[in-house]
Amino acid sequence: MGEIILDKVSKHFKKIVAVDALDLVIDEGEFVSILGPSGCGKTTLLRMLAGLEQPSDGRISIAGRVVNNVPPSKRDIAMVFQTYALYPHMTVAGNIEYPLKKRRIAKDERKRRVQEAAELLELGELLTRKPRELSGGQQQRVALGRAMVRNPAVFLLDEPLSNLDAKLRAHMRAELIRLHQRIGRTMVYVTHDQLEAMTMSQRIAVIRSGRLQQFAPPADIYEKPTNAFVAGFIGTPSMNFIDGQISGEGAAAVFRSGDWSLQLNGLPLKEIDSTRNVRIGIRPEDFEFNDDSDACSARVVVVEPTGHESIVFLDLQGHEVVARVAADFRLRPDDVVTLAPRVRKIHVFSANDGSRLNRDDS
Amino acid sequence: MAAPTTLLRRVLFNLFAWFVVLLIAFPLLWMILTSLKPQSELFLIPPTFFPGEITFEHYKRLLVETPFLTYMKNSLWLAGATTAVVIVIGTLGAHSLVRFSYPGRERLARIVLFTYLLPSVVLIIPLYLLMIQVGLANTLTSLVIAYTTFALPYALWLLRSFMAAIPVDLEAAALVDGASRMQAFFDVILPQALPGIISTALFTAILAWNEYLYALVLVNSDEARPLTTGVMNILITSFNIEWSLLMAASVMMSVPLIIVFMFLQRFLTSGFGAGAVKG
Repeated sequence: MGEIILDKVSKHFKKIVAVDALDLVIDEGEFVSILGPSGCGKTTLLRMLAGLEQPSDGRISIAGRVVNNVPPSKRDIAMVFQTYALYPHMTVAGNIEYPLKKRRIAKDERKRRVQEAAELLELGELLTRKPRELSGGQQQRVALGRAMVRNPAVFLLDEPLSNLDAKLRAHMRAELIRLHQRIGRTMVYVTHDQLEAMTMSQRIAVIRSGRLQQFAPPADIYEKPTNAFVAGFIGTPSMNFIDGQISGEGAAAVFRSGDWSLQLNGLPLKEIDSTRNVRIGIRPEDFEFNDDSDACSARVVVVEPTGHESIVFLDLQGHEVVARVAADFRLRPDDVVTLAPRVRKIHVFSANDGSRLNRDDS
Repeated sequence: MAAPTTLLRRVLFNLFAWFVVLLIAFPLLWMILTSLKPQSELFLIPPTFFPGEITFEHYKRLLVETPFLTYMKNSLWLAGATTAVVIVIGTLGAHSLVRFSYPGRERLARIVLFTYLLPSVVLIIPLYLLMIQVGLANTLTSLVIAYTTFALPYALWLLRSFMAAIPVDLEAAALVDGASRMQAFFDVILPQALPGIISTALFTAILAWNEYLYALVLVNSDEARPLTTGVMNILITSFNIEWSLLMAASVMMSVPLIIVFMFLQRFLTSGFGAGAVKG
């Protein structure tokens, strides 16, 4: 009942294209994140799902029904806003009860359901308070309560955690996952925080400039990014990119950038265009520090210890790269180390359009 | 204990504040005192400050012998009706200007402000002729319409800034929660805009209550005269000014406003604040 289908959905604001011919199928009961940088159109997308914006083009169906012309109130959706949008003049109970009232649910039943939601979200004590008397985390829970109380087919969440402090955010992430497991409803979660998207979702839709880049489970997004944008957007610190050329074929393929060359040892690749220009990507954790024949020397520039590991900025033959190393691996600035990328983990992208050139089927 | 200099400063400050208060309040005080003096005491030289003998005779005369009560009724009705019309149209209009997007929205808002540039004297004669044509001449309705023409643009702009300060998400939340546009407006927007609406209403009411020029031109029968022109009409003639009656009338004219202010003061100040943030 909670399946969402976006069919070539576009949204233009005058001359600005916010969402561009987007196709997306979200399964019933799935937790999907819409991830992208600020201004990529993700909130517009969510508002179109909610019915707060009309798509300029394309079709949106929710639960097997085209909803383009269905007002928000008739879509069987609930939405949690970034600002929470609690009604300031109503008490917590009044806020949670409001959607039930608008659906003309009997008073006793309303009371029971408000109580139920309040218990689930541990808001029991606060029911008679006004929103402004609550902390950010409490307001957030009220907003969630107001969304879940009427048991909608689809939950839309617009960066609901971005106004919370780091600790509370981690806590609420876990809460949201638990909530999803418990009620099993379709949830569409808009965020620009990759950590939230990676930890919470079953699938992530990465969006850039209104276009869908990749729609896949978090692990696939991380391990097989469909293009250089997704690869660079996901992961902290972000992936190292080095531009260069590939010469040779198959097992003899070699990547060269300036004085630096790297044997690709038969890394399975797709057809590369005639210029042979590529951009390779190496995740910070995919470096090995050893004295292999493939290794080359690099100079340590900055070390940032984070406790359980250290982030090391190195000068690798004129390229600045970031590596992630265990905390007990002691490095100091100006140390010269030998490091080698794990070739099997190297991502190769077209220098032309940034598309992924690794062959993932083999 | 405060140091002597700060103490001195506080004393001086208080003295100054009281001086300003007295300066402003004196005419009002004089008005009340004069209205209570017997006719014989009015022009004494040197003048008495406090009445030697307190009398309510002027009030009685005003209420019994003149159409004062009719004027009062007219004025109340005028202020009430104008405020109601202006607030209903102004609130909905301001909401539309802030929330909906349609071509020419900003231009419309600016054109509305243009009506302000026209001096009311210019509009009076055309309005009067218009009222005769539609058969509303000499009625309170004609005054309500006239007052609306200048109170509405102003109310619209005031309310617009109040509406703009209400987060868009609140309305969106109400829509998603199952409310229709109108329900969202009444359940969520209206309570949020209430301080703004109340202060706008108050301004409109005062405007209508004190208006003189339109009332003078558009209405010339006692049945439809409001207090402003009515009182002038009965008490100020070419030969004589009935000072004591005039003062008594002024006192009574202030009473409704003072009552309204007393009740709405809280909203008025909070309204000012809310408007100032985003206005």
